[in-house]
Amino acid sequence: MSGPEGTPAPPVARDDRLPPQAYRNIVLSLRTGLIAALVLLVGGIAAYVAVHPGVTSGEILSSNPIASFLTFSGLTRGLAHGSPEAFLTLGILVLVATPIVRVVAGFYYFERGGERTMAGITLVVFVLLLFALLVFGPFVK
Amino acid sequence: MDLTLFLLLLGLTGILAGLVGSLTGLGGAVVVIPVLIIGFGASFPVAAGAGLITILATSSTTGSAYVRDRLTDLRIGMFFEIATVPGAILGATVTVLLVHANLNDALLVALGIVFLAIIPGSWSRRHEELPQGVVPDRRSRKLGLYGSYYDQGTGKEVGYVAARTTPALGVMFGAGVVSGMFGIGAGVFKVTALDHYLRLPMKISTATSNFMMGVTAAAGAGVLLAAGYVNPFVAAPAAMGTALGAYLGATILPGLKNRTVRYIAVPVIGVLAIETILRGFGLP
Repeated sequence: MSGPEGTPAPPVARDDRLPPQAYRNIVLSLRTGLIAALVLLVGGIAAYVAVHPGVTSGEILSSNPIASFLTFSGLTRGLAHGSPEAFLTLGILVLVATPIVRVVAGFYYFERGGERTMAGITLVVFVLLLFALLVFGPFVK
Repeated sequence: MDLTLFLLLLGLTGILAGLVGSLTGLGGAVVVIPVLIIGFGASFPVAAGAGLITILATSSTTGSAYVRDRLTDLRIGMFFEIATVPGAILGATVTVLLVHANLNDALLVALGIVFLAIIPGSWSRRHEELPQGVVPDRRSRKLGLYGSYYDQGTGKEVGYVAARTTPALGVMFGAGVVSGMFGIGAGVFKVTALDHYLRLPMKISTATSNFMMGVTAAAGAGVLLAAGYVNPFVAAPAAMGTALGAYLGATILPGLKNRTVRYIAVPVIGVLAIETILRGFGLP
């Protein structure tokens, strides 16, 4: 096995350039996001089925029930009114945002460690992810 | 169909898909997407959107375990997301534009072909031995793309370093396009880049690929969600079922022989792929 210069790697050479809390906080952010999304999605579906008992799968598949909640104003209004579809939308958003949060965590730890190039790369990835959600998707809609 | 029954069937399909996906190494979305189209009558973009949500759930579940165990190389994973993320955005955007151009059938044919193309990757024997004599390129040295992990098999700390980053970036971009366009994890392509070009140990390749899938899927899902193609009544039960199935596959059924599972599951995935192609050609 080779080290970074093609020379034998030291027997114990864990990546200590990132602090242990970077690993811990990334695990925590992934798990917290997943659990929050699951709670919102399960609760939202249960509430929707209770409120709309006669709905069929055909009706669900023929139109997107969350279409009117995909704007900031639509989502906040829906959440304020306790709409199950709004909570479902929030659950999906939390699931999509979970890996984005860990990109932000990566940027923070690389920046703090003085690794400007890696910090810049994670910042570009973060901006691209925001672009996908806020610009590309609505643009091609 | 009654909505409650529909949701239960989707959840059960997800569990089965997660089990098959984890035991074959192809990922749950490969099973979920064609079943959604063929069995549940979902349109292609809705099935692809559900596939990406499924990947987000499974990647957060299994990905966090790999990070905790320090098998994921955060630095290498985050570096190559610079290629997979724009790829996924491009792929998802192309899908939306093709759907708008009424080319759903062409997407179905392409999806079936991609599935048939990735099946051999699940059969090929990955090298278990550790890469020897790896020489890092200039980018790898500059960014410090090296690390080490504790190998339980040998009881030793194993060092590694990334080799050819330029071709790996190209493969990663392609993996992103496939992921965003078809809603699958495209792990076969990512592992090829990590394993073949970077010459990382298999355990690091697998864990880092899984880690990257979440962010790649988030890029594609972001486009499809904003374009209105993520239906939570399809995506949520499929994702929850698949995450549970993948967990069961990874923890409760480790004794199940992968070879046996592959002999049963891979032909089934092949049949689903062919059925998807036939649908694309308008055949029953």
